[in-house]
Amino acid sequence: MGFGQFLAAPEIKLKIVTYRDVFQNTAQESSRFGEEYEKLSAVIKLDLKDISKLTIKEGDTVIVKNGFGKVVVKAQKSGYEEAHPGIAYMVNSPWSNVLVPDETGGSGVPKFKNFEVTVQGAKGEKVTGIRAL
Amino acid sequence: MTGEYYVCTGCALLCDDIEVETEDRKLSKVHAACLKGVARMKGCSDPLECTVDGEKADIDSAITKAAAILRNAKNPLIFGHGNSSSEAQKISIGLAKKTGAYIDDTSSFCQGPIVEAILQDKLRTCTLDDVRHKADVIIFWGADPSNSHPRHLSRYSYFPRGKERQRGWEEDRTAITIDIRKSSTAKICRDTRFYQIPMSADAEFMDAIVSGLSGKIPKTSFDFDKKRILELANVMKKAKFGVICVGLGLVYSLEELEPLFKLMEKLNEVSNFYLIPMVGQYNMRGFNQNLFAETGFINRVKFNSETGNANHGAENSVVEALKNKSVDAALIIGSDPLSSLPLSVARYLTEIPLITIDPCQNLTATRSTVTIPCALGGVEAGGTAVRMDGVEIELKKIVESDNLSDKEILTRIMEAI
Ligand code: SF4
Repeated sequence: MGFGQFLAAPEIKLKIVTYRDVFQNTAQESSRFGEEYEKLSAVIKLDLKDISKLTIKEGDTVIVKNGFGKVVVKAQKSGYEEAHPGIAYMVNSPWSNVLVPDETGGSGVPKFKNFEVTVQGAKGEKVTGIRAL
Repeated sequence: MTGEYYVCTGCALLCDDIEVETEDRKLSKVHAACLKGVARMKGCSDPLECTVDGEKADIDSAITKAAAILRNAKNPLIFGHGNSSSEAQKISIGLAKKTGAYIDDTSSFCQGPIVEAILQDKLRTCTLDDVRHKADVIIFWGADPSNSHPRHLSRYSYFPRGKERQRGWEEDRTAITIDIRKSSTAKICRDTRFYQIPMSADAEFMDAIVSGLSGKIPKTSFDFDKKRILELANVMKKAKFGVICVGLGLVYSLEELEPLFKLMEKLNEVSNFYLIPMVGQYNMRGFNQNLFAETGFINRVKFNSETGNANHGAENSVVEALKNKSVDAALIIGSDPLSSLPLSVARYLTEIPLITIDPCQNLTATRSTVTIPCALGGVEAGGTAVRMDGVEIELKKIVESDNLSDKEILTRIMEAI
């Protein structure tokens, strides 16, 4: 057991932007309960600077949470040429929907595409399964 | 191959050039469709089972139970519809009227405002065939068809040689992406045609383009390169046939449609521009048109069970009705709100009697009192549907199925109430 186990993992505030992905969508057509759908959905895409702030490596799991819910997902580099610290991307999925605020101001439209969360390394905790959301 | 063409129901492009090979009432090969379309047409690996209270049941008892739930409810919700034929949608609207239900669909929290404005003649629109044959300037605004509608660019908007666009994308078409991130579609448009704007800045960017089109200097609070906005305004001005493909990114960023109305008005003063909503589910637009024909509203309706009058408003939207816990039972058709709505809103569904009709197992079905499997639209059942541009498309049945169509299931529930 390393000394790191006893230190609190650094926590950062991020804005989440959601998007669609044809491969994830295809997996959804085949099975919402399949491994492929989880692999392509339960992911957060981060800026390199944010990855280093979190002291994690690509592929590590992270806890993403806010006042509406909490999920454990895999961290990935976003791969965008332009840096975007403070902003992270999640594909539209039941995992991102755990975190979408219910606030609508009575408009009937939640803010699916733009909301705030805190992110923290999950120290090896497993990705939240779809049935456990 | 059968030499016959079928329609893919994977998205609201409803591609009608699909050839298939069949084996044992399944499609063994699907030709011409995109990845997502092939997966849709081949069917899911975990079909829904017919159940009542978590136990396997026959269809008759499931229908009896579903009818009892709706009969006993004071304010049921009927939601879904985007993956149903127009014929099924019309029965669903009748069922809502009979039971005094809330009736709504996904458009309520996505493309609804745009479709509504089009049906009310407030926005100028055209067909995808017009786009293929005539469009020379195509703007993807907050839209990423490479992921959401994979054959949009190849069948209609960018690559094809159309009647008046014989040189296709190489010379005859200019595609532009306006988005907050460099999407797959933006990469195809290349750097000079990609306008990256900050989050929620779409309305301001529209105003800046209007300034550019009016010969004024386009200013933005985020200091976007004025020269590039002027270049964009110039390309738009010179368009012979321009089209804006409106994606969810734009819809979610606009608090009201006024800036879009202003932009379209200006564009049509100095140029020739149309707009098409990038509708996701294959027959969302059909539902909007069918409900509009019946009630004058495209979504968010609550029927009065005694008078049959339709009340419309945000408080009748699926999101507000669930948030306010004003529904006491729900029937979900071809949709999975526990996946697609914020969980904080959808969770209430697990507290009330719930019925799911769908070809496949989904999260909402796992929490439902009654689940009824239905035939897969466009593969195991025929009907009609409305493409994203308003064109009606005929769906043919390709293979037989033991499951009833959603239209038949809804008809039987209606009869049993
Ligand atoms: S673009 Fe849409 S309709 Fe066309 S094949 Fe793909 S999923 Fe089907």
